[in-house]
Amino acid sequence: MGIRVLEFLLSFSVFLFVVELVRREKLTFKYAFAWIFFSVIGVVFSLFPVIPYKISKVLGFELPSNFIFFSLLGMFVFLSLLLTVFLCQQNRRNDRMAQKIGLLEEEMRALQERMKGR
Amino acid sequence: MGPRILAIIPAYNEAGNIARTVCEVLAQPQGIIPLVIDDGSRDQTSQEAFRAGARVVQLPFNLGIGGAVQTGYRYALENNFDIAVQIDGDGQHDSAYLSVLIQPVVDGEADMSIGSRFLGGKAGFQSSFGRRLGIGFFRGLIRFLTGFYATDPTSGFRACNRRLIALFAGYYPSDFPEPEAIVVARRLRARVCEVPVIMRERREGKSSIGKLKSPYYMIKVTAAIFLHMLKDRKVYGPWA
Repeated sequence: MGIRVLEFLLSFSVFLFVVELVRREKLTFKYAFAWIFFSVIGVVFSLFPVIPYKISKVLGFELPSNFIFFSLLGMFVFLSLLLTVFLCQQNRRNDRMAQKIGLLEEEMRALQERMKGR
Repeated sequence: MGPRILAIIPAYNEAGNIARTVCEVLAQPQGIIPLVIDDGSRDQTSQEAFRAGARVVQLPFNLGIGGAVQTGYRYALENNFDIAVQIDGDGQHDSAYLSVLIQPVVDGEADMSIGSRFLGGKAGFQSSFGRRLGIGFFRGLIRFLTGFYATDPTSGFRACNRRLIALFAGYYPSDFPEPEAIVVARRLRARVCEVPVIMRERREGKSSIGKLKSPYYMIKVTAAIFLHMLKDRKVYGPWA
């Protein structure tokens, strides 16, 4: 019983925390959604333990706890991959911006030179 | 009037070499315009290049060779150049070979022309044994995957026409750009050729790509090239 309360508290506080972060604009919905999704699943599982029990049995896990650990690990793999994608996207945009800054500076210098020449 | 030619010269902390490279380009009879891409150098590379008479694009931080070269292609596209030539800022590429290098592109026989130090007799700087072993491996790999036998796949001494300028301005490989760019160009059915050139050993400073002999590097480049073969041609942009 105690473990269920713990599970509920953990997933529910993650859920509340993420919602609070979105509310304060510390996190945008795009990045928050995966966390909200997984924390809601955690809350549902802790309120209705039959669900994880059933699923773990169907999937052939010896113990429901093994299934929980497996799901958590899967979630982290997914989230970190998602983070890498976002990081890569930011990196590319950053590079594009650096290139543009360099090109604009050159253009500006060329323009200034032409103005002076007049 | 001949074609408008831009020389893209990526440079990172090359204050000691850059002025001579720029002057050599300016001394060529084709009226080639040197554009130095200062890839976030911490020395006087930009100032030296500017004083030598080059146009200079100074990147706010280091992007690596791929990002720097791509900046040059973007410049070439925006300023409507007919041909873009890549020359390393460290002085290993001899501008005396520029006319040989651009000839196939000027004549419309190739979309990309690569200066190879291994064609036409072994002269000049041939690089170390370990590096040559790596180069041999990439020759085989690129021929197997694209059907093009590049004797010098890591050569950064190359010329491109408008079609490839437009392509590379939108998409240029960033990790191991020299061999990857050949693969991308060939996948998009560009005509690639090689011309014999003689290269020098770099004059000052340290090479940023001295890792060709490490197996780790080889594995990474091989993986990157194989992944290119899996990509949809559309990822290379509207010009593909």
